[in-house]
Amino acid sequence: MTTTTESAAWTGGRRLTPADVRDVRFGRATVFHPGYDDTQVDRFLDRVGEELAKLHAEKAELRDRVHDLEARIDGEQRREAPSTQAVGILAAAQQTADQYVAEAEAFSRVVTTEAREHYEDQVRQAREKVGAMIQAAQEAAAVISAQAASSGTAGDDDSRTAAELQEQVVYLQAFSQACRIQLRAYLEALLDDVEREWGAAHPDGVPAVSARPRVQRPPAAAALSGAPAPAVRAPAVPAPAVPVGAVEPSTVEAAAVLLSEDALRQDRQDDEAGARPRQ
Amino acid sequence: MRANFAKAAAAGDEAPLWFYAHLFLAHPETRQMFPVSMAHQRDRLFAALGEVVARVDDLDSLVPILQQLGRDHRKFGTVTEHYPAVGASLLATLEHFDDDWDDALAADWTAAYELVASVMVEAAEEMADQPPWWEAEVVAHERRTVDTAVLRLRPVVPLPYRPGESISLETERRPRLWRYYSPANAHRPDGELEIHARARAGGPVSTALVRQVDVGDVLRLGPPVDHLRFDPESDRDLLLVAGGTGLAPLKAIIDHVARTGPPRRVDLFVGVRLEDDLYDRADLERLEREHPWLTVTVAVSEDEHSRLAHGDVGEVVVRSGPWASREAYVAGPPAMVEDTVERLLQHGLPRDRIRTEVFAPSRPGPDVDGKVTT
Repeated sequence: MTTTTESAAWTGGRRLTPADVRDVRFGRATVFHPGYDDTQVDRFLDRVGEELAKLHAEKAELRDRVHDLEARIDGEQRREAPSTQAVGILAAAQQTADQYVAEAEAFSRVVTTEAREHYEDQVRQAREKVGAMIQAAQEAAAVISAQAASSGTAGDDDSRTAAELQEQVVYLQAFSQACRIQLRAYLEALLDDVEREWGAAHPDGVPAVSARPRVQRPPAAAALSGAPAPAVRAPAVPAPAVPVGAVEPSTVEAAAVLLSEDALRQDRQDDEAGARPRQ
Repeated sequence: MRANFAKAAAAGDEAPLWFYAHLFLAHPETRQMFPVSMAHQRDRLFAALGEVVARVDDLDSLVPILQQLGRDHRKFGTVTEHYPAVGASLLATLEHFDDDWDDALAADWTAAYELVASVMVEAAEEMADQPPWWEAEVVAHERRTVDTAVLRLRPVVPLPYRPGESISLETERRPRLWRYYSPANAHRPDGELEIHARARAGGPVSTALVRQVDVGDVLRLGPPVDHLRFDPESDRDLLLVAGGTGLAPLKAIIDHVARTGPPRRVDLFVGVRLEDDLYDRADLERLEREHPWLTVTVAVSEDEHSRLAHGDVGEVVVRSGPWASREAYVAGPPAMVEDTVERLLQHGLPRDRIRTEVFAPSRPGPDVDGKVTT
């Protein structure tokens, strides 16, 4: 390459090579030769060329060494990848944990299913019992009024008896209602126990449960069982008879003697909560 | 590659167990993306990988599956950096279970995995304008029966969805367990969702939703998926048949018809086992009162004391026909859906006008066929 120091080949971003320095030719200022000593310049340029060549070689060597070291670091990391033994230990630990969780779930499933069956059974029995009692009371009332009609002495005594029977029917209905509520409370307590057992197996479950007392739950949630809502378009079927709200307070109180007071108190709460949206 | 994969698959639970242990040791930060119990997770991993290997020659069918997987993984907190970590552990696992492992096999698997990962990452990145999950506050929690609750959720950022779609959700009380639930209302301007949850015996998430989650809790919601495939444009009269909490997506359809139309007659049948199981009675009654075009019928199957219609809901439906001109949507437990569809077909309803959604124990994400239930 024969060019000047201003040549585009140098300024265009291309690296200066030893050859560039060696081949450079300087122009002469005048014909009388007032410029640099040719020999000295040439010698110097040779030295620059040699020096650059050395630097390039050194740089290449360093680059190779960096590559080598990088590759060795990568290899080191790969060798530090989890050992088969470590993987085996963690896998066994995970398997054990999975087993515990599965057992807790299975336990919860069994207890919950049994509790629900038990609950449904109790409700069914209670309903049958109450149904039979109401029927017996109605039959007795029919016999009494028939007797009264035949004897022709229908008086205050008989009407009082009819009123008493009527009251008894209402009482029994309240009794049935209270039974159901108590059973439901019992089932819920049982299910909560199951939940807590399950939650205890779960690291995040425990604090979350204790942080929220159940009391904060709106009582409206239980309202449906407390006071049956009118039937949703049951074809040719009337609404379920006698909502609890219609029961005489004195009768409810009487039922409280037989049942725990708690059941009745819940009953009233439910009733109030259930009544609000319907107004 | 197939022969090599078959060797790992033949190891059964051992292979995914090894894979996850390797992944968690090599990249401990990935552990918190998974639930405490990994049993179900392992079942799914090799099933999904098997599908990928089986379809590796059929990119047309593989790519949409991978895209869906990539999009769906955003809610788990998966980011691009996790993909190489998984790839390394996958290769280590395949190598561990194959005595004939060689460099050629390693190169093939590396190339295949890189393709899979790039499709998934790309699909996930296309969704970048959407949040990976939505946080939603529980603003109401009503326990309606011993095992059913109705929750109202208010997402901080509105989550758009169409009626009949379901969304996955996660509660901090059962971390990393995602379950699908259908909102029981059409999308509202304030974004509020009504969720119906029934506690499945032994089901960790459903029991927590019913018995532990309370007002003020924050749930995470995933993007919606559509299984019922409700057609909002059609104006054909509707027959909706619900079993259990299958009521939820059908209520969303009723809500949609009420809000946006087009006007169509809607007959809703709700099947319950016992009358006490009817958890949404008051609201169904209100809907029927407010909308003259809506008729609600409740069928009880095992309650001889009930005065409601007796029998399996499918039986009660065909008894109340004819329905041959209707468009039917059936949602509920597997046996109920199967029985109802069978009866409707016999009744003369063409199959292409019956759409169904089965409510069964949930997967944390859709499988390769888009199914979200087991």
